[in-house]
Amino acid sequence: MNSVLSARQKTPLITVKGLRKDLAGNPLLDIAHLELYAGEAVLLTGRNGAGKSTLLRILAGLERADQGCLHYGESSKNGPTPRDVIYLHQQPMLFDRSVADNIGYGLKVRGCSRAEIADRVTHALHWSGLEHLARRNAKTLSGGEKQRVALTRAWVLEPRYLLLDEPTANMDGEALTLTLQLVARLVAEGVGIVLCSHGLRADSPLFKRALHLHNSLLRELKSPQNLPTNGPTNELAKSMDATKQCVCQRSIS
Amino acid sequence: MESLATTTYQALALLLSGDRELWAIIGVSFRTTMIAILIAVPLAFPIGFILGTTKFRGRWALISLFNTLLSVPTVVIGLLLYLLLSRSGPLGDLRLLFTDQAMIIGQVLLAFPVLVAMSLAAFKAAERNIWETARTLGASPVRALLTLMHEIRYGLAAAGAAAYGRIVAEIGCSMMVGGNILYHTRNIPTAIALETSKGNFSQGIALGFVLLILATSLNAAVITLQRRSEHHR
Repeated sequence: MNSVLSARQKTPLITVKGLRKDLAGNPLLDIAHLELYAGEAVLLTGRNGAGKSTLLRILAGLERADQGCLHYGESSKNGPTPRDVIYLHQQPMLFDRSVADNIGYGLKVRGCSRAEIADRVTHALHWSGLEHLARRNAKTLSGGEKQRVALTRAWVLEPRYLLLDEPTANMDGEALTLTLQLVARLVAEGVGIVLCSHGLRADSPLFKRALHLHNSLLRELKSPQNLPTNGPTNELAKSMDATKQCVCQRSIS
Repeated sequence: MESLATTTYQALALLLSGDRELWAIIGVSFRTTMIAILIAVPLAFPIGFILGTTKFRGRWALISLFNTLLSVPTVVIGLLLYLLLSRSGPLGDLRLLFTDQAMIIGQVLLAFPVLVAMSLAAFKAAERNIWETARTLGASPVRALLTLMHEIRYGLAAAGAAAYGRIVAEIGCSMMVGGNILYHTRNIPTAIALETSKGNFSQGIALGFVLLILATSLNAAVITLQRRSEHHR
């Protein structure tokens, strides 16, 4: 797992250049340049239909852009769908099998041995605190539980980058807190994250950067560079605090 | 004509005594239909997947073609196949007419539209996200398709059961291209027709029993599977 310090590394994990996507003749996305880094949570906001999901899906290789190029750090040699980037749907799609088998799915299709899968799944269930659900059929879970299983299923693959499409939509109270705690821990472990949302605020310490998509253009609302009072280390300390909080809460419960 | 009770009693006796002729007929039926289903499923389900989940020019023409094929009488398929396979036909050199291979070809053709139409409906009802989730978690396209099929397994099994029900009970095509030759191409439906026309009712009823039991259990299976797939929504 990457260390926290890798958040400051200078090579971007995903570089987007001159990306264009049209929808029925109108430009939906027109992004000249975008760099996404490891260990950094980026909040992506924008109205319904502004193209947030489309952008995430293009970054994940699930949709094609009309123009432009995408470069995935060192993993670009793996082809257009980099295995290090995982996209999570707004409605988490869990397979009709047990929670443990859902989490082990990505390992299974990568050809890991049964013993290794069992081992890593147990570890992952412990990481997310979902041990008590391991044998349940995933279709029977609540929305918040499903989202956490989906995050765990991605975490177990040790991704470099996660693209979360409205992970907290229709979620409140404890489910929201638990989900955001997992996101904060992923960031602290060095995973890069783009999270698109209506409800979350850009001034949350979880997000080092905030981007706003409007009329096909991407505007930087908040970035580590343009915060005069909060230097990078300060920001880092804050997100670490958020993480510590959740770790404490977890050990109490 | 003997009383129905006596004939039915004789029919059961025939079945239970392990009558060689009777069980050969049942064997032909099961062997040909099983092979036909095993050939048709791997061809038909991918077509159902493509028609159910992608958009391309001519898609609707293909869908209505398969729906039309659903209602083509089996004798018409038998007639077309007969013309193709007869000595003077385009495939006459294969010498397939009046063989069990010809019956299997006919059954594949009959099962095909049922499998395509029903699997298409199942694939269409499945969430597109299943495929994308599998892909983004690192599955190859083939692996993702298998995962998707696992998700809709009850619907696909219902398609298989319905197609099997159609081919095991049809008589038109089997009669025309099989020729009703004992120990080779005489299957349950053609045997029932023949024995009844000879006045040999007990054998007809015995074979009718076998078909009836099969039809009942297939229907029960289809209903159970469809109910299960609804529960999983």
